[in-house]
Amino acid sequence: MAEDLWFTMGKIPARLPAGILYAKNHMWARPEIGPDGNRLLRHGFTHYAILLMKDVYFLEWNISEGDPVTLSQEIGHIETSKAESGLYCPAPGTLVRFNASLLDDPSAINTDGYGSGWLFDLDAPDTGYMNAEQYLKYLSDNWEKTQAMLKGKMNQIEDDES
Amino acid sequence: MSKGKLTVVISQAPGKNPAKRALEENLAASLLMEPGIELSIIPHLYDLGPDHTGRLFLESIPGDMVVLAWLFPRAGFWLLDRDGIRGTEGQSPLHPIAEKDDEDSDEPPPEKAPGIGPLGEVPDRTIWCLDLRDHAGHQIYLEEIRRIRAEAALLREGRQAAKQATRPPAVITLGLPTQKKPTPEFTPETLLAPSNRRWYPVIDYSRCTNCMECLDFCLFGVYGVDGLDRILVENQDSCKKGCPACSRVCPEQAIIFPDYKSAAIAGAPVGNIGGLKIDLSKLFGGEDQMVVAAQERDRELVKDGRDAVGLAVGIPKRQSDKPKGPRDELDSLVDALDNLDI
Repeated sequence: MAEDLWFTMGKIPARLPAGILYAKNHMWARPEIGPDGNRLLRHGFTHYAILLMKDVYFLEWNISEGDPVTLSQEIGHIETSKAESGLYCPAPGTLVRFNASLLDDPSAINTDGYGSGWLFDLDAPDTGYMNAEQYLKYLSDNWEKTQAMLKGKMNQIEDDES
Repeated sequence: MSKGKLTVVISQAPGKNPAKRALEENLAASLLMEPGIELSIIPHLYDLGPDHTGRLFLESIPGDMVVLAWLFPRAGFWLLDRDGIRGTEGQSPLHPIAEKDDEDSDEPPPEKAPGIGPLGEVPDRTIWCLDLRDHAGHQIYLEEIRRIRAEAALLREGRQAAKQATRPPAVITLGLPTQKKPTPEFTPETLLAPSNRRWYPVIDYSRCTNCMECLDFCLFGVYGVDGLDRILVENQDSCKKGCPACSRVCPEQAIIFPDYKSAAIAGAPVGNIGGLKIDLSKLFGGEDQMVVAAQERDRELVKDGRDAVGLAVGIPKRQSDKPKGPRDELDSLVDALDNLDI
């Protein structure tokens, strides 16, 4: 088994397990056998995403299990102690099921993001995803821009003052 | 309205959610016992058509008022504004957002270009909008209304003193009272006449800069301009139910769909004034709001038997590398990450 990769955000390392797939919207994907014995892709938040969000307070889906989905379709909403965001579908296909246990208590996203904190199973081809190395490179290439975005508001305030 | 009383209006939640009804009823029951309060109950504010008695009633209120609705206060305030019910926006400590201010109260508000402001004349009165979703118990609302009653009494005194100081007594005869339309009968029954669900945008003129991007974008004729070329929602009922696309296109987050599911579009407070939360939508795959908006618009065009236009029509050209400014305060996230205890 290949070793986990790590991406350092500031001083915080984010763990990127090898052997699973990654999407640009900071979700991981892993093959899973569905209720009908078909092959699905299970999705969850990467450690990187979780570090940005911190504690998840509230998770809500605005589509139903079994609905067809398109790439980048808004499928839900998340609120955490630090952030809020729409949730977007990383690939086109069918949304087969959501992780029902998260709807009562989403804390597994924080405690076991690569395991029991999974978000949903998608019936979709596994094309268009990155492997851990590619995702690590994607994070590194975009880190500067991301930081700028995260700090954007601060700069704006400073600009206004000067 | 009796003189010196504060008008309190409860706007009911659409539907029959028993928990929401219970809060409305408990609050109404305790307000009926409360001195100095004139209570009325109307259906969901957003759904009131121009002829609904509830709306005529709101229009007839001359003085200060408190409106409790299942809406963000910003949405409620600007909804009233589009109905011509104007005043100064009353501030309430009830709103959870205001409570968090202590964290960085010294920071200047990040708001830049102020909006063009309300289109009509703003009468000298205050309107407090409270969000019934903020708290589950009615007691806290009751206490806040008592606080507002006291604040309103002070404001009223101030106004009267100013009036007496500045105005010669002869000006009283403006003749306005006699020109009034016959007031319709406001009974609890007519006020609560059922209303159909409606769907249309509400403009927050404190943010709107009159850039006209919504006018260019919407292909259904919802937007128009007034005699002074100021943007307005001209044809509310041309709007496509469920479609919030113009709100995504608006560079100032000035377009509110009060009943939309995501808070940013439903009129949640913006920026520093609002929750101290970061909007990560751009990072999480929602970065291209223009594409989402164009898709939503195409869906409605096709439903109408028209051709989809994609990104070819009415999409503002902005610098792609310059995000329109993350929606909420994005201050020290990276610093906070460094301090994370892992």
